[in-house]
Amino acid sequence: MAKYGFLIDASRCIDCRACLVACSVENNVPMKSTRIWIKDSGVTGEFPNLERYTAPFHCMHCIDPSCVSACTVGALQKNEDGIITYDNEACIGCRYCMYACPFEVPHFEWSKQFALITKCDLCVSRLAEGQKEPACAATCPTDAIQFGSRGDMLAMAHERIRSQPERYVEHIFGEHENGGTSTFYISPVSFDQLGFPTAETTDSPAHFNRIATEEGTPIIAAGAAIGMTGIYLALEHNGKKQAVRKTEHAEDKHDTAGKE
Amino acid sequence: MTKTISRRDFLKLGAASVGAFAVGQMLPPMVAKAAKESGLINAAGNGYISTMCEMCVWRCGVIAKIVEGRVVKLDGNPEHPHSRGNLCPRGQSGLMNTYDPDRVLTPLIRVGKRGEGKFRQASWEEALDLVASKMTEIKTKYGAEAMVFSSTHNLSQPLFENLLYAFGSPNYGTQRSLCFNAMIVANTMTYGMEEPARIYDDKLKYILLTGRNLFEAISTSETSDLSRAIDRGAKVVYLDPRYTKTASKATEWLPIKPGNDLAFHLALLNVIIGEKLYNRAFVEKNTIGFDELKKEVSKYTPDWAAPLTGIPAETITRIAHEFADAAPHALAHNGWRTSNFINSFHTQRAITILNALIGNWDVVLTEAGGEESGKLGAPSQPPYPRVSALRLDGVPWKYPVVPFKIGVFQEMRDNIVSGEPYQAHGWFISRQNPVMSLPDREKTLKAFAKLDFIVTVDIILNDTAWFSDVVLPEASYLERYDPLLPFGDKAFLRQPVIEPQGEAKSALWIYKQLGERLGLGDYFQYTDEEDYLRQQLAPLGVSLEEVKTKGYAESPETPHAGESAEKSWNTPSGKIELFSDTLAKVGFSGVPTWEEPPQPAEDQFYLLTGKVAQSTQFGTQNNQLLNKYSDEPRMWINTQVAAKLDLATDDWVEVTSEVGQIHIPVLVTQAIRSDCVFMTPGYGHLSKGLTTAFGIGASDSVLHVTYTDPISGGQALSQTFVTVKKVDDASSAETLKPLYLGE
Repeated sequence: MAKYGFLIDASRCIDCRACLVACSVENNVPMKSTRIWIKDSGVTGEFPNLERYTAPFHCMHCIDPSCVSACTVGALQKNEDGIITYDNEACIGCRYCMYACPFEVPHFEWSKQFALITKCDLCVSRLAEGQKEPACAATCPTDAIQFGSRGDMLAMAHERIRSQPERYVEHIFGEHENGGTSTFYISPVSFDQLGFPTAETTDSPAHFNRIATEEGTPIIAAGAAIGMTGIYLALEHNGKKQAVRKTEHAEDKHDTAGKE
Repeated sequence: MTKTISRRDFLKLGAASVGAFAVGQMLPPMVAKAAKESGLINAAGNGYISTMCEMCVWRCGVIAKIVEGRVVKLDGNPEHPHSRGNLCPRGQSGLMNTYDPDRVLTPLIRVGKRGEGKFRQASWEEALDLVASKMTEIKTKYGAEAMVFSSTHNLSQPLFENLLYAFGSPNYGTQRSLCFNAMIVANTMTYGMEEPARIYDDKLKYILLTGRNLFEAISTSETSDLSRAIDRGAKVVYLDPRYTKTASKATEWLPIKPGNDLAFHLALLNVIIGEKLYNRAFVEKNTIGFDELKKEVSKYTPDWAAPLTGIPAETITRIAHEFADAAPHALAHNGWRTSNFINSFHTQRAITILNALIGNWDVVLTEAGGEESGKLGAPSQPPYPRVSALRLDGVPWKYPVVPFKIGVFQEMRDNIVSGEPYQAHGWFISRQNPVMSLPDREKTLKAFAKLDFIVTVDIILNDTAWFSDVVLPEASYLERYDPLLPFGDKAFLRQPVIEPQGEAKSALWIYKQLGERLGLGDYFQYTDEEDYLRQQLAPLGVSLEEVKTKGYAESPETPHAGESAEKSWNTPSGKIELFSDTLAKVGFSGVPTWEEPPQPAEDQFYLLTGKVAQSTQFGTQNNQLLNKYSDEPRMWINTQVAAKLDLATDDWVEVTSEVGQIHIPVLVTQAIRSDCVFMTPGYGHLSKGLTTAFGIGASDSVLHVTYTDPISGGQALSQTFVTVKKVDDASSAETLKPLYLGE
C-alpha cells in the first residue's frame, strides 16, 4: 500500500491560518484545542532588512512513531498507509504519548471532563470519503501544504532545493528526524530559527526508547494521570521558558494554539 | 467512521453568555429543504451543495458538505475562478458565522434608550408595518430625500437600489469612499472603467505593489496568483510603511513614508518618460495628453522624491528601469483600499498611467467582465420617479467627478449632523456597520441622534444595529438565495445550504415586503426568491434545477475584441487619458501633480490601519472560529521608539487624536517605521450583543479624523495623527462618553 506524505514549504506559507480553521471544522476540534500550530521565526534582522518565516506544524506521522510505542492500550496505531490514528474510546488519558513525542504533537483536550488527546489523523475520514487531500492541504491558497505519496513528496522536496538552492536551506526536516517521518518541511531558514524541535530531541533511534529505559514505562503508565499531569506541566513550563528565550530576537511571536 | 460537527461544540463557548435574543431559539442546522427537493442530498442525508461565500466581497465558490442532514464543512469550489478549490480562513469559518450564538433570530424593536441594548422581539408583520409607517411619515412630512439609505456591495444590491430609488431618495451611501474611491475614480478618468482585471500569466515578470497586502488582505485567487508568481521567480517590489506578511515574501520591501507614494510614482513617470523607456507605439496609438504629462512630471526627479519618500534616488531610478525592462510583462498594481491621503487620487492616476506608458494592456491588464450582465433577465418594473433634491453627500454639487453610485459616505454622515442642505430624518441600513466603518465614531453617533428613525438589516447585533430602532434579521449567506453573479462566461448561484434559523429572511424577501407596504410593489415583481432567479435565467434557457446542481449557468460571453480590432476606450476622447479634460474643466489638474500631504507633528505618529487574514472589515470579529485563531489586537510600535517611551509589548498606552482617545496594549516590533503606529480595525465593539467580540481591543474609528479627497471623495484613512502615552493599565481606559442618544 502506498504511504501518504506531506510537503510543507515555509517559503510559501503566508500565515493566513486557513489550514487551522479548516482542520478545526473538518475534525470538530473543540474551541480550546488545535491540531495545527504556526511555527514562527518572528521578525528578525535590523530595520529595514527584516525577515520572517512561518509554517503550519502538525503530526509528523513518523515511520517509527514514539507515541505508538508509548501507548500502553493501543489507542495510537500506525496504519499501513503511514497514518498514525488515535482511538479516543481506547485512550485512558495517561498522556504518555505527549511525553514520548519528540515533536510535542499530541495535545491534551483540557476543555473536556474526561480529558483525551487530540492530534492530526490526516483527515482519515475525509480521505475515506474519496476526497483527495486532508482539509489543510485542500484549502491552502499558496500550496504551502501539499499532499500525496510519501515518495513523491520527498522527491519534490529534494527537487525544490536542487532547483532553487538560493531559496532553501539544505535540510528536509522529517527525512531523518526521529528515524524518518511522513511530513517533510523545507525552509529558507534553519528549522531551529523557525522554532522546530531541535536535533537532540529528534535524533534516531526513537526518542521514546531512551526515556523508556531511563524512567521505566510500565510503572509510570500504571501510575495514572496525576503524576502525568505533573510531568506535563513541567514540560509546558520548560517549553514556555524556551519560548521566552526564542522571543528575544523574535518579538512578534504569537501563540496560535488558541487563547487560554 | 462518519464525523459530524456537533452543534453543541459549535455553540459551547458562547452558550454561557449568549445574548438575550439568541438563547434556545436556534433550530438544528438542518440541510435546506430546497437542496433536498433538488435531489442534491441522498436518502441517507448526505451530499454536496454548490454555493458562494460571503465572508468578504471576493465571492469564492463553495461546496458545502452535508452529512446526515447537517452541513459539516465548506470547501473551495475547484470550478469557481475566485476560489479554484481553496478558501481563506474566513471562508473556512463560514459555518460559525451562521451558527453564531449571537445571531438575531426575530425582528427586534427598541424599548430602551438608543445604545442601551434593550429590545423586544416582534413579528415580521409588526416590524415591517412599523418600518413602512415610519418611512412614509418621514416622506410625507419632509420629503423622500429625508430618508437616507446605505448598504455595502452585495448581490441583492439591485433590489436595495430599487427600494431607495423607487421610494424617491437620492441619498445612497456605499462603503466605497471608505475604501477605493481614489482607485475607481482614477481608472474611470484614465481608462473609462472602474478597475481593469489583472492577468497573472507565466510571463509576468515584475509586480509593483503599492500597499496591496495580498497575503493578509486575501482575495483567494489573486493571493494564489501572487504566490505562484513569486515561486516562478517574478520580482515583487512592495511599498508599505509596515513589514507585513506580503513584505516578508516580496523581493524588495520599501518602507515608504506615508502619504508620499505619489512622489515615488511621479518620479517613476519622470524616469520612464525622461529616458524614453515607454512604449511609444502604444502611447501614440492609444493615449492623449502625453505632452502635458511629460511637461508636468519633468520636475519630479528621483532626487526630488528621495527625501519625501525616504527611498534613495538610485533605488527609484533602478525600479523605473527594471519596470520598463520587464514591459509589457510588468504590473503596477492599483492596490485595494486606496484612499489613504487627500492626494491619493493623483497617486492612483500615476499608477494607472504607469501601466499605460509601458503598453501592458491585454497582456497584464484587461477589461474586467462586469457584474451587471445584460444577458440575464430581470423582473419588469416601472421607471424610477424623478428626484430633484440634492444629495446630502455632495455629489455632484461639491464632488463633481465622483460617480453617483459610489458617493461620499462620510460627507453624507457629516451633513446629517449639520442639517445642510436639509435635515435628514431616517436611515435605512442594510448589511453595513457605519458606526464602526465611518471615521470619527462619535460624530456618527451624533448623526444618529439627529434622526427620528434608524432601521438595520443584519444577521447579528453589530454596533449599528445596537443603536437602531428596529433590527430586521437577515438570513445568513448559507441560508438564502441571492441574485445570480455573472462572471465571465458563467453566472454563479448562491443558494441556501441550510434553512434560515429562527425567523431570519432573505434580503430579496425583506425588500419586497417593505416595497409592497410602501406602495412600491411594482418594483418587486417576483413571487419568491426562486421565481426571481427563474426570471434571471429565462433568456439563457437554463433551468434553475440545473443551476442548483452545477452551481452556475453558462452564459456565453461577448467575444473579446482582440488586439487587431481598433480599441476604443470609454472616455470622452475615446483614448486612454493621460491628461483629462474632464478634470481640468472642473478645476482639478488634468495630469497627476504633486500635492504635499500633511505631516504629523514632532510628538505624533501616523495612525495606520490595515487588514489581517482572519477578519473582514468590521463584521467577522464575533465569529468564534476566527477569534480562536486571531492575534490579540495590539497596537504596533517601532522597537526604537518604544525604548524611548519605556514601552514593552503588552504595556498599555493612551492614544489620542484630534477627535478621540483609546487605550490599547502595544506590540513592540521592528516591522514598522518609527513615525507610524498600526491598529487592526474592527475591534472595540460597543454592542454587548456580540458576546465573542465585545471587550476585545479598541476601535480605530474613535481616532480617525474625517478628511475627504476633494477629487475622488475618498476618506483619507491614513491621514490621522496620534500621540501615544504610557498608562498603567487598561482600567483607566474608560474614555467613552455616555452613548445614550435620546429617548
